Order: sequence, then C-alpha cells, then structure tokens
Amino acid sequence: MLVLSRQRDETIMIGDDIEITVVDIRGDKIRLGIEAPANVAVHRKEVYEAIRRENEQASRMAVSDYDEFRITPTSTVRKKGGLKRGSGQTRARIRSPQPKASRKRADPDERKNRTA
Amino acid sequence: MHVSTSRFGTIEVEDDRVIQFESPLLGFSQYRRFALLQPSDESAFYWLQSVDSPELAFVVTDPTLFVTGYEIPIRKDQLDSLGLESLEDAQVLVIVNKYGESLTGNLQGPLVLNTISGTAEQLVIPDQRWSTRHKLVDIPEGKRAASA
Repeated sequence: MLVLSRQRDETIMIGDDIEITVVDIRGDKIRLGIEAPANVAVHRKEVYEAIRRENEQASRMAVSDYDEFRITPTSTVRKKGGLKRGSGQTRARIRSPQPKASRKRADPDERKNRTA
Repeated sequence: MHVSTSRFGTIEVEDDRVIQFESPLLGFSQYRRFALLQPSDESAFYWLQSVDSPELAFVVTDPTLFVTGYEIPIRKDQLDSLGLESLEDAQVLVIVNKYGESLTGNLQGPLVLNTISGTAEQLVIPDQRWSTRHKLVDIPEGKRAASA
C-alpha cells in the first residue's frame, strides 16, 4: 500500500482521471472529496464488499431454484407491456431447441410462438 | 445478435435492446452488456443475462412488487451519467438471491435502468435502512424446484 500524508485541501492524483482531496479533518473523521469519471465506481469499502458478495452469490442462481425462473419457449416475444408500459423496453427472444426428429406422440404443451 | 447462455441455450437479442452498464455491477467490472429475459406473464422475475459471458446471469425484479416505501435517492450527477432527463424513464430493479426457502432482494444496491437508452448502473444506497438481503417472498412448498 502506498501511504501519503496530506493536509486539509491537499489532493492526490490516481492515474490521469481520479483526484482525491482532503476536504475536512475533524478529530477522527476525515472528509474526502473524489473526482472520478462516471464509469469508475467509488464506494466506501465495507459497503462495496457487502454488495459485491451479494452480487457474486446471486450470480449462482439456477433456473431450478424457483419454478417462476423458468423461461419457456412459449414465453418468448412479449406483447406490449413489460417493465414500463409504453416506453422502450428490453426484450429477448429465445430460440426454441430444434424438435427431435422422431416424436412418438405430440407434446400437449407445444404451442407456436406468438409474435408481439 | 445471437447470445449464448448456459441456462437457456442460444437466444436472440436485438442490438438496440442490450443494456449497457456504464458503471459496472460491483465485482463484475468486465461484464457490462446484458439483456433482460422475460419469463411468463405471471412471473415477477426477470433474468439479467450477460451477452458476453454465457454463465453470467442474475435474477432481478421490480422491488415495488414486494416492498412498500422503498425510495432511492439519486444524485443529479447519477441522473446525468444515466442520461435520464426524468425519473419517468427510469426503472429500478433489484438483484434477487435465495437464502433457505426465501427470495431476497438487494435493496442496498439497486439497479437503475434508463428504459429509453438502455444504460444502467448499480447504485449504492448509503442509508443503512435498506439491506442487501431484504426478504421478498417465501418460496411455497410446491414451487421449490422445477422438475427436470
């Protein structure tokens, strides 16, 4: 770890685009001002860690964890609606797997995909 | 564009439907492009699938479906970086986790999406009132595991 001493109103540069300034010092508490580009996230570390861990845990979610997580080939292209009515929404269409060549009997759940 | 996913096979995502995280999901700074997959009409949950990494996906939901009084303070500079002129165009989503037989939402780190431009960001709410594991719903007995 690089350790630098700064007094009130003094600044540290990190790379070309990040600046940290000591805004105020009061007893045990230091107020730091941070200038960074919008695509660099700046967070208190303990909060960052809590959220990062939660994200990592969540990324392991499986479709089998809850039956409502299951996306069926019939629930592909949505009708109007979704997240916000009337505004741009994000959609994905799932390409159905190719049906097997020999099917002994028709699957009663098969339906043609509806288009929006 | 064709997106390969480990959970759903290959999916088709229109290019202008890709969600771009200008400021990344914490811990996943390499993966900034995602698509939202919408399950059946009855489901409250969506999958946020990385278009670049087939295994990477999160379940997300609209927290207002489960939580009352949840408000996210957004600074002007955050609105600007999302290109949001009005909160009308914003959609808040929270990442869902499963603990025991409950689903929880990370209310401390919500995702804010500009529904018009497709840019998104994970915000960190400094207010300790909202937890990273806010219980959303208990999973009823019959729904615990989808059959193979």
